Amino acid sequence: MGVLEQYSLLLALAVGIAGTVFGVYGLARLMGPTRPEPGKDVPASAGVLSRDPVWGRYHARYYGYALLFLAFDMEMAFMYPWAVVYKEVGLVALLDMGVFLAILFLGLLYGWSQGALRRQ
Amino acid sequence: MTVAIVLLTLFGSAWLLAVIEGWTVTGRLQPAAPLLSGLAHLGRESIVPRSPDRVFFEAAPVLLLVVAVLGAAVLPLAPDLVIADLGTGALFINAALAYVLVALIMAGWGPNGAYAMIGGWRFLGQLIAYSMLIVMPITAVAMRAESLVNTAIVGSQADLWNIVYQPLGFVLFYIAAMALAFRSPFDLPTAEGELAGGVDAEYTGVRLAVLRLARLTLVVTLAAATTVFYLGGWHGPLLPPWAWSLIKTLAVAVSMLLAGGYLPRIREADLMRWCWTLGIPLALLNIVIVGLLILVVP
Amino acid sequence: MTSDPTMTLLGARHQKRPSALKKLVSRVMARNLSCLIVPGPEVALAHGLDVTAAGMRIAATPRDAGVLLIIGELSQKMDEVVAVLYAQMPRPRATLVLGGPAPSSLPHPDVSAGLSQEELTEAVGRVQRAMAEGAFAASPEDFDASVLHVRIEYVCPMHPEVVQDEPGSCPKCGMDLVAHEAGEDEGATEEASGHHGHDHEHHHDHEQQHDGSDGHSEDEHSGHEHDHGASGFMSMIEVTKDLSRSADGLQMDWLEVPFGPVFPGLPGGLKLTFTLDGDGVTGGQATSLAGMTTEGEDFEEVDAGTFIDHLASAMPLAPVSYRLLACLAIEQAAGLNDDPATTQARNAALERERIASHLGWLAQVGRQLGFAWLTHRASTLQLQFRDANRNRFVELEPALRALGTRLGRTPLLKARLKGIGVLSTESSDLRGPVARAANEGGDAWARLWQRLAEISASFDLIKGAGEPELPSLRDIGGVSGTGEATVDTPRGEANLRLKLARGHVKSYKLDTACSHHIGLVEKLVEGRELGDALVAVGSLDLSPWEVIP
Repeated sequence: MGVLEQYSLLLALAVGIAGTVFGVYGLARLMGPTRPEPGKDVPASAGVLSRDPVWGRYHARYYGYALLFLAFDMEMAFMYPWAVVYKEVGLVALLDMGVFLAILFLGLLYGWSQGALRRQ
Repeated sequence: MTVAIVLLTLFGSAWLLAVIEGWTVTGRLQPAAPLLSGLAHLGRESIVPRSPDRVFFEAAPVLLLVVAVLGAAVLPLAPDLVIADLGTGALFINAALAYVLVALIMAGWGPNGAYAMIGGWRFLGQLIAYSMLIVMPITAVAMRAESLVNTAIVGSQADLWNIVYQPLGFVLFYIAAMALAFRSPFDLPTAEGELAGGVDAEYTGVRLAVLRLARLTLVVTLAAATTVFYLGGWHGPLLPPWAWSLIKTLAVAVSMLLAGGYLPRIREADLMRWCWTLGIPLALLNIVIVGLLILVVP
Repeated sequence: MTSDPTMTLLGARHQKRPSALKKLVSRVMARNLSCLIVPGPEVALAHGLDVTAAGMRIAATPRDAGVLLIIGELSQKMDEVVAVLYAQMPRPRATLVLGGPAPSSLPHPDVSAGLSQEELTEAVGRVQRAMAEGAFAASPEDFDASVLHVRIEYVCPMHPEVVQDEPGSCPKCGMDLVAHEAGEDEGATEEASGHHGHDHEHHHDHEQQHDGSDGHSEDEHSGHEHDHGASGFMSMIEVTKDLSRSADGLQMDWLEVPFGPVFPGLPGGLKLTFTLDGDGVTGGQATSLAGMTTEGEDFEEVDAGTFIDHLASAMPLAPVSYRLLACLAIEQAAGLNDDPATTQARNAALERERIASHLGWLAQVGRQLGFAWLTHRASTLQLQFRDANRNRFVELEPALRALGTRLGRTPLLKARLKGIGVLSTESSDLRGPVARAANEGGDAWARLWQRLAEISASFDLIKGAGEPELPSLRDIGGVSGTGEATVDTPRGEANLRLKLARGHVKSYKLDTACSHHIGLVEKLVEGRELGDALVAVGSLDLSPWEVIP
């Protein structure tokens, strides 16, 4: 199968699954609609009605990790093609990528020493 | 035809997993239980919370299921039994599984409820922790196979499975897979004791049934990925290839399921610290070791 | 009654046309019942009820539950909680009340029964029949309760004190008033509420996290500093001007989230409200909704025996201890001397309850930590120990030892509990296991091992003493006097002082450990991560019934 065919098959699969799910939703709708009653649509919070919306600026505590993650993610994008040709190229490939990884690792160590690797 | 067989195997494995899960909880083997429980969910009302983000709320369970199925679509059951043997199969799995994060953040933000939102954002932290631990072992596996094609990766393990060749990679991948499927002890987004169900909390009725099915299927997909990358896929004596794939996948999935019941939930701060200070250096070490092994061992 | 041919459910779904599919689904739903236990699963275990053996799965939230299982008599505040929980359950839903009058907020229970395993099983059978036949009904009624009502107010985003019942514009700044829902019973949460939602990202409603009194004056002052301009755009500095700073210097939105009366893993009836900054707790408040309503003021004179029964039933998590406490106090008031035989039997019963109570706490810890094996094992052992006689004890000993060793060998458990919820010996008001563990580090890990050690110690005590026997009042006649007694309940020392008049209890004063421990919650959770804060509160082993207001 050509690449285009493979991807279109995957797309068809995704659409098919989504379509089946919505079909099942329709089947559930056959049972009847949801009856609107007071208090039913308030998100369940342990027996206390809390109606206020919660959307807002959420204080994520892992932003130190997130910055380092960006760097490593970019690195991994380079490593995939490198991994495929590694055996062919031989020792030089190891050394080249080894330098790259070492620099990144030093970055990780630096972040660690500066307190990035902890809950902020 | 292949599509039908693979999908049947996928959902059949999810069903078997549910039966085994029911067996560990109640002690009775009830084959019809998952189907009946799904039917029971169908009969209950589906409540939509007040002022939700409707698109996110509806999309999350569907997206989770689609992701699980797409991930399984590139994993081979047998040399000729794969829906789409992509040239970048290993990378595609990673890309598809990244959407688990999107689905969970949608499920967290959509209902406009406190528990769900905290669960969703916690999962983002969890992704930052486990993501490198999935990608780096896959790179090491691809190094040995010299290809990202999943059938080639399995083919490279014909004489020696990767679990023996790269045990460190296997351990890291297994742990990260459990974290990706947010199974206990990594069930931070759906913690019952901390968030009363968290991300799952506001789904009722048929949407809850789809969400639960999606979670099970995700575990099966990850177990299949572990089998393909580390356990030699379809290789094995006597039985036909697809039988070996199935057995290995189920074994890994059941072990992931059972591990959870015997361990308390990990703290979020601990998870991130250990993954980044211990896990990533080990993953880098794994790549270096595999690199040396490939060059040295003919 | 069971002879009724068609059983109806109050919380049935509406059906215009009956169909075979609906019948099938009703029958399947009847086989797959999940229940939400109010006040909490620990109360079910304390009464010796095994809900999963009766045929229902235990659910964690009302969204997941089909049956609302109410155990015992609930206080008035808990009645309102029950109304909220019932309203949030998806239909078809049923109520099952065990061992008490139905809550006043629910119309009438679908099934009611007494507090025993047989009656529970039979009641579950009735619920299943009702669900199978009545899940879809022709004309079900909506459920309504005063606690659920919404009153829409219109507030100015900049001036929170400007509230009108109709849409319009703010008299102070001219901005459009924004709709805001306000519940009818506002109470403490509304006043202390830190943040309203954001409808539109340019209109922010800033309220400081001060105690409610000076909140408004601050906002009035700060409101004038905002420069809206023509389009209403506010720069980030203005947007974040009044938000409180977190420990790392960032100004983010704080939410007031209830981890309230019915939360899995926490004691049922404990209303816990956290102010959350992301997933870190910046403030917490704990009150008990399940406490005794009469203290000593409007207390009528009762017969001594009735008083003992009332006290024991008012403390469902430790009835034997409080029964013993009342018996000792009354007997001391009556001037009776100690009888070694009864004392031994009573102490054995007390120690048996200590073991059962600690096992129940372990089950709660398991629920909180997502440690399914511990919940299952501790619940099973608690049900077996609860009313075991001496021979049974000897049989069960290896299981108990195995539990302790297994816990010691569980990976991740120490990391989860070590350093969480530290209460050192300097904190006053510590009693019982919490106080004894304060010498060993005072964190949740130390409390876990303290309670496990107490289980072993109780076990050895029972083996040495005789057969456990429930404390019952010896004959006192119609005497008068004052008595005082102290009993080491599973949660700490409880002290009872009472006045007898002609064999009737005229007045009493009860001091319990939990009344003191509940005040520790605020300090314990401040600045902690959410999971750590909840584990810390759970490790205190609070019993909301034992909190005397």
